[in-house]
Amino acid sequence: MSTYRRDFLTLSGLATASMLLPGRAWAMPAGTRKPAPDSPPPTSAQAAAALAASPVAAHVDIAKKAVDAAVAAGASYADARLVLYRTQSLSVRDDHVDGVSQNDRYGIGVRVIAGGGWGFAAAGRVDEKTAASLAKTAVDAAKRNGAMLEALGKPAVAWVGAPVAKGTWVAPFETDPFAVPLPDKAELLIDAAKKVLGTGGVSHASAGVSIVGEDRIYVSSEGAQTHQIAYRLFPRLSGSAVNRRLGRFASRNLEVAPMQAGWEYVTGLDMLAHASQVGDDVLQKLHAAPVAPGKRNVILAPSNLWLTIHESIGHPTELDRAMGLEANYAGTSFIKPTDAGSLKIGAKGVNLVADRTQPGGLATVGWDDDGVQPGRWDIVRDGTFVGWQTTRDQAGWVGETASRGCSYGQGYDGVAFQRMPNISLQPGTEGYTTEDLINATEDGVLVSGRGSWSIDHQRYNFQFSGQMFWEIKRGRLTRPLRDVAYQANTVDFWNSCDMLGGEGTYRLGGTFGDGKGQPGQSNAVSHGCPPARFEANIVNTGAGK
Amino acid sequence: MSLSRSQAKRIVNQALGAASLGDVRVSVSASRDGNARYGASMPTTTGDVERLDVSVTAVTKDKRKATASGNDTTKEGLEALVQRAEQLAALSPVDPELMPPRGSTSYLSVKAFDRKVSAMKAAQRAPIIEAAIKAGKDQGLEMSGFLEHHDRAVAAGDRAGLFGYTRDTQISLGTTARTTDGTGSSKAGRVGFDAKTIDGAAIASEAALWALRSKEPTPLVPGDYTVVLAPQAVSDLMGFFVSQLSHRQASEGRSFFAAGGGKTKIGQALFRSSITLTSDPTDAANPARTMTRGGAPQPKVNWVESGVLRSLTASRYWADKTGVSVRPRPSSLHMAGGTASLDDLIAGVDRGVLVTRFWYNRMLERRSILATGVTRDGTFLIEKGKLSKPVQNLRYNDSPLTLLTKVAAMGVPTRAGLTLGRTDVVPPMVVEGFHFESVVPAV
Repeated sequence: MSTYRRDFLTLSGLATASMLLPGRAWAMPAGTRKPAPDSPPPTSAQAAAALAASPVAAHVDIAKKAVDAAVAAGASYADARLVLYRTQSLSVRDDHVDGVSQNDRYGIGVRVIAGGGWGFAAAGRVDEKTAASLAKTAVDAAKRNGAMLEALGKPAVAWVGAPVAKGTWVAPFETDPFAVPLPDKAELLIDAAKKVLGTGGVSHASAGVSIVGEDRIYVSSEGAQTHQIAYRLFPRLSGSAVNRRLGRFASRNLEVAPMQAGWEYVTGLDMLAHASQVGDDVLQKLHAAPVAPGKRNVILAPSNLWLTIHESIGHPTELDRAMGLEANYAGTSFIKPTDAGSLKIGAKGVNLVADRTQPGGLATVGWDDDGVQPGRWDIVRDGTFVGWQTTRDQAGWVGETASRGCSYGQGYDGVAFQRMPNISLQPGTEGYTTEDLINATEDGVLVSGRGSWSIDHQRYNFQFSGQMFWEIKRGRLTRPLRDVAYQANTVDFWNSCDMLGGEGTYRLGGTFGDGKGQPGQSNAVSHGCPPARFEANIVNTGAGK
Repeated sequence: MSLSRSQAKRIVNQALGAASLGDVRVSVSASRDGNARYGASMPTTTGDVERLDVSVTAVTKDKRKATASGNDTTKEGLEALVQRAEQLAALSPVDPELMPPRGSTSYLSVKAFDRKVSAMKAAQRAPIIEAAIKAGKDQGLEMSGFLEHHDRAVAAGDRAGLFGYTRDTQISLGTTARTTDGTGSSKAGRVGFDAKTIDGAAIASEAALWALRSKEPTPLVPGDYTVVLAPQAVSDLMGFFVSQLSHRQASEGRSFFAAGGGKTKIGQALFRSSITLTSDPTDAANPARTMTRGGAPQPKVNWVESGVLRSLTASRYWADKTGVSVRPRPSSLHMAGGTASLDDLIAGVDRGVLVTRFWYNRMLERRSILATGVTRDGTFLIEKGKLSKPVQNLRYNDSPLTLLTKVAAMGVPTRAGLTLGRTDVVPPMVVEGFHFESVVPAV
């Protein structure tokens, strides 16, 4: 056994122990922490080492030259981002690895305001000549956009001010996930997959991990200069079973959230310990009873509710959607720009908070891609919609003088625009557990895990499924169900919320795949929540209805 | 950057030359992409992006395999990339499904390149989107949309003699027109390889016309309806067909095409005899990619002939194991149709619903391909052969494939102008008994 391997095991043991403590940082309710820090978090030894090893830092002068060239060509604002976007994925099927890949993409993107319009140009090469040429291309495009705005009688881009961003920020981590040897990663995944497969009746198991590393430098014509590094991890484990006699197929994923963290997060999960539960659940699903459709209570576990929050609260509170700017693709919003402070979209006690400082949150940053240090703010307070997600070119649309810090561009080649922050449902004050919610329910379904989902383009009508469904009768879980989806209208649904779990039940969920924009870009975002009870239409999605 | 055949060959050869393992496979993709967005009748972002990605798969003698990709194409950059792939491969466990390198391979050819599209910049984009915005704005509509153009090259090579290269252009404009009261919306679009495909004012006028028709919709009681699906709506659902084409999944009992006992439904009559589905990347009017990024040739394929399933997709490993032909996921899908126009089809329906497009389609149950999704951008009630009124959008819960057993009539196959990525040429159709689950008040 190598030295590394021993450290690895020791570390994993420690990580497991810390995961069991009630105060685990990533699951802490947002309300129990201080709001946005006044200055970036203190730099740890790992952070300092990551910044020192960054290959991007050597090119900061080229980024500055791009900004200078844009200003010389007539830009009233310019920024340049150097982004090294690394991904590594490892997947295993049953007892063997079926895919290993690593992708590194590095380049420079130049974004400018000139003549009142936006322009952008990017290339996957970083040299002075390219930087100058990108600046020129971006300024030319911006001027044409500015002239068009004028010809159409539309206002020029209104860019609100922000304190000049300067500094470095590294998302907290203990072990660089790219530095962990592949055989160690493969062994961990194969062991877990084999254990799932070891459950009699399970036909296939798969496991995997996706790792993203973002190393980015932002410089602007306002004098900003930031350097940020973050790692994100998404471990997966699932099993599937086929019953040929019944002609049925079932699969079950371990309910694990992607996290902004180092490799210690994966080892701390102890997937092996949960593997047999995955196997057992697959078989239960295969032989579960079909659900009877109709209106009743649903209790949504955090592993399911996070996505419902993302789709029904996250997207309609994006200001650009409400303004009609995303009408051609993602859609608009049922919330109008003038609705903040007056529109009731949930029951009393429903509080949703945006937070780009939340530990472990996938959308947590030191500064956004407009050079704004983001914080925490209310989206829904006591059932009333109160706050938008904004960027510096949007804040003025609703009479605000500062951006909320929601600008993000994926990779060097994605133009920065408004993207979703971590938005989380706050726990209830009664301190309820999941069992309390079940015990209080006459007739309902407990839904956990992420399943199929579909929601309309204004975020009214949705139909979501899950991974595991339990029938609830007279306060008890009675039997597993299958082919369950819950359908509702966003406002009815959130107004029907009548029980929330307490602080101890709060968990993060999240995705790497929050898609938006044309060309499409993916944002990584987390949503925390306790389990909660709602009323919805239960739909049977089985073939033989 | 655009990449010529000789530049591609240089990169491939340089990477192969840097290899110390006997089996190394390289693919290169390069693009020059430009775009312009607009929303709320104003231009928003516009950009030009040059990319070049090199992907190296290294295979050890004992069948360990890994892929590393990057975008540094200097000599040192390529050497480092090959070295990383080889290091990753050495650390990777044995791949029991490894296939030998592809070696010399031939590809179909088709003209899909336009110099004008290749050379486009902001100066050429601006007049197109300005014309599109004005065409709707002059009628009091709020316009949003997206114009994009690509010049893309793909090359693949290995140490057993493979060198494949394709280069094509693509241009598309999709535009949404909304009435200012927020009750009407429609989307129109075109996609092709040639700059002539895109006429900003004409596409926007089509969206504007249908947006005005769709104003002030009323709710329709959900239930089973005869539906007339415009070609775009058909294309939106056929994505499910393509996603289920895997021979392996069917053999393993995991798809609609599973027949049980390790068998597939190839040879079975699954759909109406009017249904024929093929792929033909060489269709001159609607060309598609003739090679995948990994260097697999895209052949002409008959998937379904007169309702009978004929072929499924198979990787080289799966084809070798089972004796079926190698078939990558197709780059084009053609569905045979008839001679009727969309209006002719509407005229033949006594009572039904016209769906112009679907949105947020998601699989619910894989074996039956039961799916859910919503209608978007114009849903209309048809009464006595005419569009009688706009209705609110509807959520469906139905199977896009059993739908092919309920097709009553089909019209002229048309390129679905909002479907990018795959070239879909499909007819409008009349389908009986389509199930709508709930009303979707969104516009």
